[in-house]
Amino acid sequence: MTSIPVERPVTRKPVDWWRWAGRLFLLLMLLFTVLPMLWMVITSLKTQFAAFQYPPQWWPAAPTLDNYVRLLLPTSPTGQEFLQYMWNSIFVSSCSTILGVVVAVPAAYAFSRFRFPGRQFLFFAVLLRNMFPAVIFLMPLFLLMRWLGLVNNLASLILTYLTFGLPLSIWLLKGFYDNIPIQLEQAARIDGATRFKAFLLIVMPLSSPGIIATAIYSFILAWNEYVFALTLLNSKEKLTLPIGLQHFFTEYATDWPGLMAASFIMSVPVVVMFLILQKYFVRALTEGAVKH
Amino acid sequence: MAGVILRDVVKTYGPLYAVNHVSIDIKDGEFVALVGPSGCGKTTTLNLVAGLIPMSGGDIFIGDKLVNDLDPKDRDIAMVFQNYALYPNKTVFKNLAFPLQMRKLNREETERKVLAAAKVLDITHLLERRPRELSGGQQQRVALGRALVRDPRAFLMDEPLSNLDAKLRVQMRSEIKRFHQDLSATVIYVTHDQLEAVTMADKMAVMSGGVLQQYDSPAEVFGHPRNTFVAGFVGSPAMSLIPLDVTTENGAAVLRGPQGWTLRLDPENARKAQRSSTPKVILGARHSTLTLHKSAAPGAVPGKVYTVEPTGDVTFVQVYLGDHIVIVSLEPNVAVRADEPVWIEFDQARLHLFDGETQQALTLG
Repeated sequence: MTSIPVERPVTRKPVDWWRWAGRLFLLLMLLFTVLPMLWMVITSLKTQFAAFQYPPQWWPAAPTLDNYVRLLLPTSPTGQEFLQYMWNSIFVSSCSTILGVVVAVPAAYAFSRFRFPGRQFLFFAVLLRNMFPAVIFLMPLFLLMRWLGLVNNLASLILTYLTFGLPLSIWLLKGFYDNIPIQLEQAARIDGATRFKAFLLIVMPLSSPGIIATAIYSFILAWNEYVFALTLLNSKEKLTLPIGLQHFFTEYATDWPGLMAASFIMSVPVVVMFLILQKYFVRALTEGAVKH
Repeated sequence: MAGVILRDVVKTYGPLYAVNHVSIDIKDGEFVALVGPSGCGKTTTLNLVAGLIPMSGGDIFIGDKLVNDLDPKDRDIAMVFQNYALYPNKTVFKNLAFPLQMRKLNREETERKVLAAAKVLDITHLLERRPRELSGGQQQRVALGRALVRDPRAFLMDEPLSNLDAKLRVQMRSEIKRFHQDLSATVIYVTHDQLEAVTMADKMAVMSGGVLQQYDSPAEVFGHPRNTFVAGFVGSPAMSLIPLDVTTENGAAVLRGPQGWTLRLDPENARKAQRSSTPKVILGARHSTLTLHKSAAPGAVPGKVYTVEPTGDVTFVQVYLGDHIVIVSLEPNVAVRADEPVWIEFDQARLHLFDGETQQALTLG
């Protein structure tokens, strides 16, 4: 390509300082969040000896995957323990996610569409839990679970996480249902669907981004929770990952690379889930449904 | 197709009457427009016929079946919504097929009917698209297609044209009218646009404040409005309405304006005026029945021009008679200026008289 010299009036765009300040801020935030994770990954690749060197090795001299192998090999005792924690976490998180969606979807739909006595009161009552720090509920919930005979049972955690996740799930989904025009359901009902079928065939698919967002939120909430798991569980084979990692921390206090490898494995499901499902967050399915 | 009968239908929200004892008898194959200003209860009435909201009282028959307690799906009606309400996650084909699938039609039959409906509405090339990829006019056709893909007993339409631009609206208006004639379909059509109602409907039901004001053919509603609301609502520009006193002068009935001008009534109108419950009447006159004189004429009332609005084929002139405005239409070649003194002559055979108190039309019957 040959460049053609073009006579242009030289206009200087004024530097947009706010924009640059914003970029700088975002860059700092990025470093702030990424660096610890990077250090986690680097450390997990070191040998125990290398991890304790000072000055630190910025990059492991002899990177090794031994830590991961040890954690994930079902034959090793560490592996057995770790995989048990992982299974517990997956079980608890999945159950509270599924139950959360099953409860939140009809609840949010009812709040959005029906007018019934006490609607406003109930709607805000749902929020009551979120007005207090979770720790306040520690003892009451523990006593309640003991009364129910659920202490040291994963079901106690599922119930707890369900109550913690529901308020936001219901509010989020109600917003989605509010935005779906009621005429779509009316059209479906006139076209021959029952009220339930209209919900199932027309409204549910349209609210799927909301349902997926809610599900991810519930899952992560349950996956990361620490305090209640610590209180309500005590036998070793029932522990979830966050508590299990702490066991690692205390039992193998010196094993930093092992702990980092476990942390890394624990963060993988969350990241993967986001990568796969993020498109649902942005897909605006209702677009074009009606003329505004 | 079937007729629809509303008998004493009531819908209340708390103490508020959204629909107040409305009775309408719609014959098989009739096109009825429910018309009125926003908030008059016309859409609520339509939703009651559809069964989308529960009634507070009265009966609705579709055909000879009482449908009060039937679900919308069991009433065998089709509805076109103002915002079309197309299913956004389904293609046009699936939108059209949905009512048939819900009625458990087999696949070949469904496909045959969808294609037939698409052909009628000229949307065959759009079948694989999704609603958001269509223009407003196309969406409107798909909505219509979804209604006519099965043979419902009645079509309900809730302001189906109000989201279209002016040109498309006129075009779709004639298409819907044509579609009604071809199918001899029973149509209940809600609109706030009295022109749509007058041009399309066999009969129009004018509503205001939840009350049915008049239910008649458009010609009858236009020619013999039953009260001042109907008189002022139907027709564009609106009928001029002037409150006046009834007095007698030399033994003949005369209308007297607050500024002292008088209008002599012919014997028939005089008898009407005397039936008023109080000595006050409201005089109504459409623009086309008034004659504008540039000089004093016998029987004409003096006034002053307020504005002149040329539209091309007619010029509308607003004239102050005392402190009330009347609208007169003129040939475009007549020149009038604002503030010019003019004289307005009323056509005795075509003026309307309403009771000053009850606002009802005064008749001899």
